Amino acid sequence: MSESVALVLPAKIGSGLLSIASQIGGVAMLLGQILARLNPRKIDRHELFRNLHRMGVRSVPIISATAAFTGGIMVIQAAPFVEQFQATGFIGWAATFTTFREIGPLLIGLIFNGRVGANNTAELGTMAVTDQIDALRALAIDPVAYLVVPRVLAMVSMMVCLCVIGDAVALGGAMLTADLLLDVSPQLFWSSAMERLEIWDFWVGLIKAFLFGLMIALMSCYYGLATRGGAPGVGRAVNASVVAAAAGIFIADYCSTFILD
Amino acid sequence: MIRLEGIHKQFKGPVLRDVSLDVPAGCIFALIGPGAAGKSVLFKIVAGLVEPDAGKVFVDEDEITALDALALNVVRRKIGYLFQNYALFDMTVAENIAFPLRRLFDLPEAEIQERVAERLERVALPGTQQRIPASMSGGQKKRVGVARATIARPPIVLYDEPTAGLDPVTSQKIYDLIREEQRSGDTTVMVISSDVSGVLTIADRVGMLHEGRLVFDGTADEARSSEIPVVRQFVHGLTEGPL
Repeated sequence: MSESVALVLPAKIGSGLLSIASQIGGVAMLLGQILARLNPRKIDRHELFRNLHRMGVRSVPIISATAAFTGGIMVIQAAPFVEQFQATGFIGWAATFTTFREIGPLLIGLIFNGRVGANNTAELGTMAVTDQIDALRALAIDPVAYLVVPRVLAMVSMMVCLCVIGDAVALGGAMLTADLLLDVSPQLFWSSAMERLEIWDFWVGLIKAFLFGLMIALMSCYYGLATRGGAPGVGRAVNASVVAAAAGIFIADYCSTFILD
Repeated sequence: MIRLEGIHKQFKGPVLRDVSLDVPAGCIFALIGPGAAGKSVLFKIVAGLVEPDAGKVFVDEDEITALDALALNVVRRKIGYLFQNYALFDMTVAENIAFPLRRLFDLPEAEIQERVAERLERVALPGTQQRIPASMSGGQKKRVGVARATIARPPIVLYDEPTAGLDPVTSQKIYDLIREEQRSGDTTVMVISSDVSGVLTIADRVGMLHEGRLVFDGTADEARSSEIPVVRQFVHGLTEGPL
C-alpha cells in the first residue's frame, strides 16, 4: 500500500508539473504569435472596435458601481483609526494612494476577469468545439490574427481605461463617504490627496492595469482556443481560464509591487 | 486532383494507418465507413488542418505536407469545406456566406451581394440573407454551409456528412445539389456520408475506411457488389458480419 502511494504521488506531482509547464509554454507561444501579428495595417479594425465596445464600454456600469462602493468601504474601514488618532486630514491621501496603487487595478482586474475574460473563453471555446476555428483556417483565415489579436488589444487597452474610470469613481465614493461619515469636506479630502500623492502612484496603477489586462487576455484566449470536449469542455475551459488569470493577476501584482516600489 | 500516399495519424491511438488514395479531378469521391474510422480526420488532413504523422498529401501539384503556413493558405483557397456540424459563425446568413469573399477577395460590395443572392437561390434559400443560422433547421444550416463552401468557386469541395440528421427528402435534395454544383463548376468533390445508399447515387468512386485502413477503393457499382465482408455488410446494412 505504502509502496504504491510512494509511486503514485511522485507520478501525480510530475504530471501536474508537466501540465503546468505545457500551459505556460502554450501561453508563451500564443504571446509570440500575437506579437508577430501586431502590424497596425493588418489588424482587423471592425473586430477591434466591436471588441472595444463590448468588452470596454459595456463594462463601465459594473466597474463604476463596484468602484464607488469600494471607495466608500475603504473610508468606512479606516474611519475608526482615523478618528482615534485625529488624522482625518490624511484620509484623502490614504484613500487615493491605495486606490491608485493597489485596490483600483486589482479589483477592476478581478471583475474584468470574471466578466470579460470568462465571456471571451466561453466564446472562443464554443467556436473551437463547433469547428468554427477550423472553419476559419479552412477559409485560409488566420484565427490568431482575426480573433485573438483584436481581443487582446481591446482587453489590454480597455483594462487601462477602465482603471482610470474606476479610480475616479472610487475616489468619488470615498470622498462622499468621508464627508458623510467623518465630516471631511471634499476640499480637505482633495487637498490631502494632492499634497502627498505623486504622479508615479497613478502610473504604477496603470502599469498594473496593463499587466493584468494582458494576463486576462492571454489566459482567456489560450484556454478558449485549447477547448476540447463539447459543452462540458467549454465549462472546464472557462473555469481554468478564470482561475489561471486570477492567479496570474496576483503573481503579477506581487512582482510589479516589488519592482515598482 | 487529390492524392494521399501512406498517411498515418495517431492521437491517443492510431486513427489512420497507411492510407493511400487518388481522387481524380472532376470526380465525386464518397468516403464511407463506420463511426470513428478516421474519415473526418482524413478530410482535415486533406485541407491541411491536421498534420499527418507520416505520408504525403498532394492537392493538384502541391504537396501540402511540405508547405509553410503562407503557401498552405494559398492551397486552402482552392478548397471549400462543409463541416459536419455546419461551423457557421454567429452572424447573419448573408454575412456567413459572404465571409470568404470579404476576407480573401477585393470585390465590390454590389458583386458580393449579388453572389450571395445567387448562392442562396442555388441552395433553395432565397431571401434568407438576414436570418440568423441559430434560428434555422438542420437542413437549412447545411444548405447555408454548402453556399459558404462554394461561394468562392473553389475547384475542390469537401462535404463532411452533408445529410446527417436530415430526413430522406431533404437528404436527396442535398445530394442533388452536390451533384449539380459539381457538374456546373467541374469541381473535384469528396463526400463523407453515413447514408451509404444516398451517397452511392451520386458517387463516381467510393472508398471505405475501417479501423483507420482503406479497405475498399472502387466505383459505386463495385462497392455494391463487393465480396469484402466489411464492405458488403456496411454497404448493404446487414446486421450479421464482422462489423
